[in-house]
Amino acid sequence: MKQRAMWSAVLVAGLALAGCGSATGSDSSPSGSEGKLVVWDWKSGEASAAPYLEKAKADFAKKHPDVTVEFVAQPFDQYYTLLGAAIQSGKGPDVMLFNGGGQIRDRVDALVPLDEYVAEDRQRLAGWDAFTKEGKVYASPVTLQGHPIYYNKAIYEKAGLDPAGPATTWSKLLADCAAIAKVGAKCFALGNKEGAGIQFWLSGLASGVLTATEYDDWIAGRRDWTSPNVKRIFQLWKEAGDAGLNNEGANSTAMFNDSFALFQSGKAAHVIGLMSDVGHWKDFGEFLTPDKLGVMDAPVVTAGTTPSLPYDGGIGYGVARWTKDPKVAADLVRALTSTDALKAFYADAGAIAADTTVDVSQGGPAVAAIVSEIKGGKPALHVALSSKTLDLMGRLSQQLLGGSITVDEVVKQLAASDRAG
Amino acid sequence: MPIGEVQPSVRPARVGRTDGAAGAATRRGVARSRRGRGMRSERLAPYVLLAPAVLIIVLLRLYPLLLGVNFSFTGDGERNGVAVGLDNYLELLRDPLFRTALGNVGLLVLLLPVAVAIPGLLATFIYLRVPGHRLYRSVYFFPAVLSPVIVGAIFNLLLAFDGPVNAVLGSVGVGAVDWLGDPDVAMFVVVGVHVWATFGMGLVVFLAGFATLDSALLDAARVDGASLPQVIWHVIVPGLSRTIQFVFVTTMIGMLTSMFGLLYVMTSGGPEGSTYLPEYYIWIQQGQMNRPALASAASTVLFVIMLVVGLLQIKLLKRAAREV
Repeated sequence: MKQRAMWSAVLVAGLALAGCGSATGSDSSPSGSEGKLVVWDWKSGEASAAPYLEKAKADFAKKHPDVTVEFVAQPFDQYYTLLGAAIQSGKGPDVMLFNGGGQIRDRVDALVPLDEYVAEDRQRLAGWDAFTKEGKVYASPVTLQGHPIYYNKAIYEKAGLDPAGPATTWSKLLADCAAIAKVGAKCFALGNKEGAGIQFWLSGLASGVLTATEYDDWIAGRRDWTSPNVKRIFQLWKEAGDAGLNNEGANSTAMFNDSFALFQSGKAAHVIGLMSDVGHWKDFGEFLTPDKLGVMDAPVVTAGTTPSLPYDGGIGYGVARWTKDPKVAADLVRALTSTDALKAFYADAGAIAADTTVDVSQGGPAVAAIVSEIKGGKPALHVALSSKTLDLMGRLSQQLLGGSITVDEVVKQLAASDRAG
Repeated sequence: MPIGEVQPSVRPARVGRTDGAAGAATRRGVARSRRGRGMRSERLAPYVLLAPAVLIIVLLRLYPLLLGVNFSFTGDGERNGVAVGLDNYLELLRDPLFRTALGNVGLLVLLLPVAVAIPGLLATFIYLRVPGHRLYRSVYFFPAVLSPVIVGAIFNLLLAFDGPVNAVLGSVGVGAVDWLGDPDVAMFVVVGVHVWATFGMGLVVFLAGFATLDSALLDAARVDGASLPQVIWHVIVPGLSRTIQFVFVTTMIGMLTSMFGLLYVMTSGGPEGSTYLPEYYIWIQQGQMNRPALASAASTVLFVIMLVVGLLQIKLLKRAAREV
């Protein structure tokens, strides 16, 4: 027994000291057979994405008729786990789909900078920032993702409010919410079970709280967590919770899709939603007719601020470092972001496409309102944070709603995590 | 000294062959060497037969395990593939979330007797033929065939803040409880649901154990006027010590390794990170945070915990079994 313990100790010590870090493949090895590109995503399995892929494939075939393209749809909840394994082994798809922000920035080591290949698309497409790290672009945006504040005009009418003139300041919004409470609805539909509610809150309201300089500094990475305006956002979160403006049990309500269901079913008047994929104008249309769905600007909290739409590149395609010919793979990315393909994506999958030339006038007033604000929009604040800080923020926000932490402590912990990340 | 005896018996045979005279001795020698070959293949046979199983365990279990441990001593991101010594383990120690996860493992160990007692008691009642025992036997087993995801989804609906459980509580005048949103309650709820979903397996094992119990002992105890608790404590528990031991170990392993589905569906580790378990932590670090090496370190810690807990349990239960 003693000998066995000694041997295991020797083994562990040997592994620790030698630190033979050979388990990871740090060098690249080419993958894929000649004339074939493999694409990983979580979209191509959906029937609604089929017209989009057909258009993109046809476009690519015009340039490279001898190259076949294979789309592999991975389950979204496992996507980054599977991708992580592929990256570790240095073998995997040639082209892959990414969410903008932390998910792609954490993995740029595995990607080819696309700047030289996609220069022509820079003007036509919006949302590049979410796929950029240290001045280099790593993916072309397909959709835009943002956080408009949706409101239910039917509840406004019931509460005797003007459905065409939602509140523009925080104090007016609080007054409206008091009227809404009288007709038995909550002010905000909030799902914070996954800790995502605070991300939407931060990004949805920030343009009315932070000054323009603070906002731009935040996006540029100079985040001042001690600023009273930053603190104010978390105070508002706590106050809204304490005042009962949210649906009850927000910490156990899933954002996808329980909180959106509360909004659709008329139990809450406002929700900070999304622009693409889920929890957006097309989803809500199932129960709320387009004329009952409104989109409002962030209410002004700090005097002198100009509210803007927070949005970023939503999803985009990047090219793997280990692909044989990055030029061919980049051409596929360009085909996947061509105007024709994106038009199909907008119409069938229900997404605000990254291509600003796509006509959206058929989509109803809410989508028209969103698209009209894209020009003046700014990147969303939470997208600039690392996944680690976002995870921490989710847990701290739950503590804020539960009342077991102070706003000061939250800001302090987030500042520390942000600096470390 | 068997070797000393064998050597001379072989040598004359060789000598006989060289001088070409003693044919009988040669034949005898050939027969012996053939028997020697037979013995050698007989000696090798068990190793050959074991080889496939051993190879599978070594190649598909132990080798990846060692690779994983090795990997946990390397870095993530920019330090990918670089030896970092014990950095990952130190980071784990400093991470309050991982400490919560370990604390929850401790909680599971504390709740283990309850998780074993429930199927044990229910099996006892079925064995003692309470009215309706046939129906209960199948009803109790029913949840065990449901996947954790389905169980989680069912209880998500039942335990939602505006769900039926709170509605029932409200109708009898008790305030609503945020079952999955209150950090002090959520872990117990998830463990409770896990026990509900899995106790059927333990129950079946207990019933199988009861089949081996000598009913004469029960009759004797009854004749002597023993009460039900006395029968359970002095006759049934000692008689079933091996079964109890088995259920203890399997329930513990089940609690530590297969609650991921429930956690994922019911709480996502929340609220406030209060329902994190090491396996959920590992998944988050590897899949969401892109920290595979840190996840390997956490896996190694979980492995060591399982090993220690399992060995301790077997040791304790063996001692208990000897005492009774």
